[in-house]
Amino acid sequence: MPGSLRPLLVRLGACISFLLFSASWCADAQESDTLVAAQVFSVKALPVIRPSEEVSLAALSAAPSQVADVLRRFTGVQVKDYGGAGGLKTVNVRSLGSEHVGIFLDGIQIDNAQNMQVDLGRFSVDGLETVSLYSGQKSLRLQTAREYAAGAAVHLRSAVPRHSGWRLRLRTGSFGTINPSIRWDKALGRHMLSTSAEYTGSNGRYKYPYFDTTLVRENGDLRSLRLETQLSSRVQGGQWRLHLYTYGSERGFPGPVIRRAQGFPFSAERQADQDIFLQGSWTQDWGSRYATALRFKYANNYTHYNTHPEKNPMALPYDLHYRQHLAYLSLAQSYVLCDPWSVDVSADYQWGRLDSDVGQFVRPRRSTLTAAAASRLVWPSFRLAAHLVYQGAWDSFDQRQAGGWTRENAFRRAWMPSVSVFYAPFRFLEADAFVKRTYRLPSFNDLYYSLMGNAGLSPEQAFQAGMNLRLKGKAGRWDGSLHLSPYYNRVSDKIVAIPTSSQFRWTMLNIGLVDISGLDIKAEGSYARDLWKAALALRYSYQQALDHSTPGSQTWGNQIPYIPLHSGSACLQLDWKAWTLSWDTSLCGGRWSRSANTADYYLEPWSLTDASLSRTWKRLRAGLHLRNVFNKAYQVVQGYPMPGANWLLSLEYNW
Amino acid sequence: MLVFAACQKDPVPSKDATLDGVSVDVSMFSKSARKLFVLNEGGMGSNNATLDFLRFEDGKYISSAFRKMNPEIGAGLGDVGNDIAVHGDEVWIVVNNSGIVEVISAVDETEIAAIPVPTPRSIAFDDKYAYVTSWAGAYVTYGTDYSVTDSKNPKGQVYRINLGTKKIEGSVEVGYQPEGIAVYNGKLYVANSGGIASQLPPTYSYDNTVSIIDAASFKVSQTVQVEVNLKNVHATSGGTIYVTTLGNYWDIHSGLYAFPAANPSQVARVTGVGIKEENSYVTASCQEGDTIYCLGTATEFDWSAPREYYVWSVSGERLSLYPLELEGTPYGISVLEEHILVADAGDYFNPGTLSCYSLDSKKDKRWSVSAGVCPGHFALY
Repeated sequence: MPGSLRPLLVRLGACISFLLFSASWCADAQESDTLVAAQVFSVKALPVIRPSEEVSLAALSAAPSQVADVLRRFTGVQVKDYGGAGGLKTVNVRSLGSEHVGIFLDGIQIDNAQNMQVDLGRFSVDGLETVSLYSGQKSLRLQTAREYAAGAAVHLRSAVPRHSGWRLRLRTGSFGTINPSIRWDKALGRHMLSTSAEYTGSNGRYKYPYFDTTLVRENGDLRSLRLETQLSSRVQGGQWRLHLYTYGSERGFPGPVIRRAQGFPFSAERQADQDIFLQGSWTQDWGSRYATALRFKYANNYTHYNTHPEKNPMALPYDLHYRQHLAYLSLAQSYVLCDPWSVDVSADYQWGRLDSDVGQFVRPRRSTLTAAAASRLVWPSFRLAAHLVYQGAWDSFDQRQAGGWTRENAFRRAWMPSVSVFYAPFRFLEADAFVKRTYRLPSFNDLYYSLMGNAGLSPEQAFQAGMNLRLKGKAGRWDGSLHLSPYYNRVSDKIVAIPTSSQFRWTMLNIGLVDISGLDIKAEGSYARDLWKAALALRYSYQQALDHSTPGSQTWGNQIPYIPLHSGSACLQLDWKAWTLSWDTSLCGGRWSRSANTADYYLEPWSLTDASLSRTWKRLRAGLHLRNVFNKAYQVVQGYPMPGANWLLSLEYNW
Repeated sequence: MLVFAACQKDPVPSKDATLDGVSVDVSMFSKSARKLFVLNEGGMGSNNATLDFLRFEDGKYISSAFRKMNPEIGAGLGDVGNDIAVHGDEVWIVVNNSGIVEVISAVDETEIAAIPVPTPRSIAFDDKYAYVTSWAGAYVTYGTDYSVTDSKNPKGQVYRINLGTKKIEGSVEVGYQPEGIAVYNGKLYVANSGGIASQLPPTYSYDNTVSIIDAASFKVSQTVQVEVNLKNVHATSGGTIYVTTLGNYWDIHSGLYAFPAANPSQVARVTGVGIKEENSYVTASCQEGDTIYCLGTATEFDWSAPREYYVWSVSGERLSLYPLELEGTPYGISVLEEHILVADAGDYFNPGTLSCYSLDSKKDKRWSVSAGVCPGHFALY
């Protein structure tokens, strides 16, 4: 080892000690799925850029039941919500579009090749330890190539129980909501077995303003059952984990609020889903320099969609079944060249197919190879990383030709470079910056949907540049931090649906261009004294997302749909002894539902306040959560009213 | 005409006289009509169908007239305005995804009746009834409970609405997903598209028939095969029935077909003399007198190509091609006194425009005015 590195190592050691005690952010620096049992903490496990937001679910008093509820508190994030228990909830980060946001569970992507929309309303927070958002480039050792390739990423991390036990949780509330769950953790020597089951039922009936009157939302009910089991084990220098997950649901879609003749229902649409996946990982250190992570996944998703025309004379008669298969294998390798410098090489292969009884279905198949190389220089106060990702996707599909159907192939590829830098000149100041370019592949719906697909589409491109500035300080009982994140994004070759010569025949083209400039600000402060603790978090987001698709068009230079220029939230939490009171108000500024920013399409600003009170006993925890306390009528998506004031009672017992 | 003159001298101005709009040049029109209604379809599920009209008296283009004249109807006109027609002093508007046929006063746009009809598409009149084509009619026996005949691939219906009582008086089953309808000499001519049947088992095919209904008995008297995916129907005073087809979007082109009412089986494609094959396609059509005007694009199968639209017409034996250079995404047309009004739907998501071109000279756009989302249907009063 070169002598010049020794002083550095001393500094590094000092800093590691500091980090160990500075639990506030060390905890999120370490990823349990890349946890190295032998080395408690290693500098090479330090992230180059930390998540822009991270929530530890154990610390949340107003425990939300869905991942979507956690994400809507984050800065720079829009959760698109069609309302109710069964309504689709997707997440958009910094106006990139939800297709650019990768959702990862323990480092493995939850993918939906059909439409690239992952419904976050389906993922329970039960059994999760943390939810993190990366707006910049995530750069940790041994991450999968797909983690490098995501424009932005939401990471869900499963909890790894520390000891055997049972947990019973029961939630009940408005709209006939019943949500019992049970979890059993069992330590078997070095292995840990964790099994849980959760049922959710809701009638989805809530009042909403229907133009001049008030109606009750119908056909918005949901029943779902989740069963999962995880087996994890620590071995010498590594760990492995297996995760089997099944989810079944049956739900109604209440449809948009429109004028409808009396006697005709708004909707009778139903959808049933059956999802199953098995995933696993094995992370191993081979000596002090070399480590590998092997991961795999098999997923099978089945959807049955039925418009039930016999119940709704306004429905178009569709009774469709879809099945997706996905197989995934990933190998990540990390090698320390000399202590501050390490390189990573990761390669993922994924194969997916979609089958359906939709008329003239083209039976698409896709093989995707994603390979990433990363080089990192990691000193405690200065870190630099460069990444290069290659993604190649081979599609095959049926195509109608004169004289019959033929099997066609298509190939798309993209190179995605990114650079991240981190600098902490003082203990109270940290700064990081990143530049990245990513692509998202066109979805099967974009390419092959029989009424509007265009098999000739290119991947959609997202360029991002951003920085984060964090100031933190501590004075006596006071603790505070300020986080500033300016950024610029450009989404080009954006896939946009446009009509062809017929209203019935649309197509997709790479014609969209959006320029996004934004600023996220987060200020947090806390005060602790004796049995009291008070914490306040203020968040503000400014997002200017301008449509620059067609110069000269009436929408050029306008704000794109559903992105508010201003949004923010205030969250106050008071703890006293075993009691916790929290208050959460979020504000969404005015938006437009079209890029024509006219009065006809202006959506009024709204504010939403939730409050909760909870108490913890030795084994028991009880909470009362009031949502939309002021009973505000609001819509996140135009035509889809959200529930008014409602409550949820939760009881949790551990033994 | 007498009635018309009497109305104009009416000392009491109509209630909508106070509505103001954008001024356009109407000097080329003879003012034999008072208003040109423009129906903006809106986007499905967005509840933003709107009614505009051009007032010939002062050249004002007035937007969202239905909402302005009926503020008590909070939901507005509704979801997807699919057809509009004037009958007497009434305007009948087919609001597809609201399941409503809205009847308003042509004089001041105030509501007269809102008639529930399941998935209504198009409308035509004789002297007693309005006839409305409907896609979902097979599911429902109107007025009582919904009776299911075929939940997988049902045929459509034509509903008959009494012009006086505004009540439905029966329905008749036609082909798959009926679209346009025209009335001629006691017969109703219905174009069946099969737009949904083409995506459903067992056949996955478009309909290609015109159902001919005898108005007196209200029964289908004859079914004529034309070509796949039929759309609009026009009947001339001389008894020629014209039907447009949209084709199947990959190897059968759109076009215009004609047959004599006296002998419906003599179907022939309108092409040839004076018009090349690639200049005889049809994406939209309209009728002025006995002339049928069609909008088409030569590259209709090539989705990546920039589209150039043309307008052609047929009047008896005479075919004409107009050397117009239309802008944007023309979606609907209307011809009035040697001028063509073109509804440009833009991206179908944001508000479109209405433009007026002179039919006889190239590049002569007279004016353009901002319309609602997806303008496409016209009615003259």
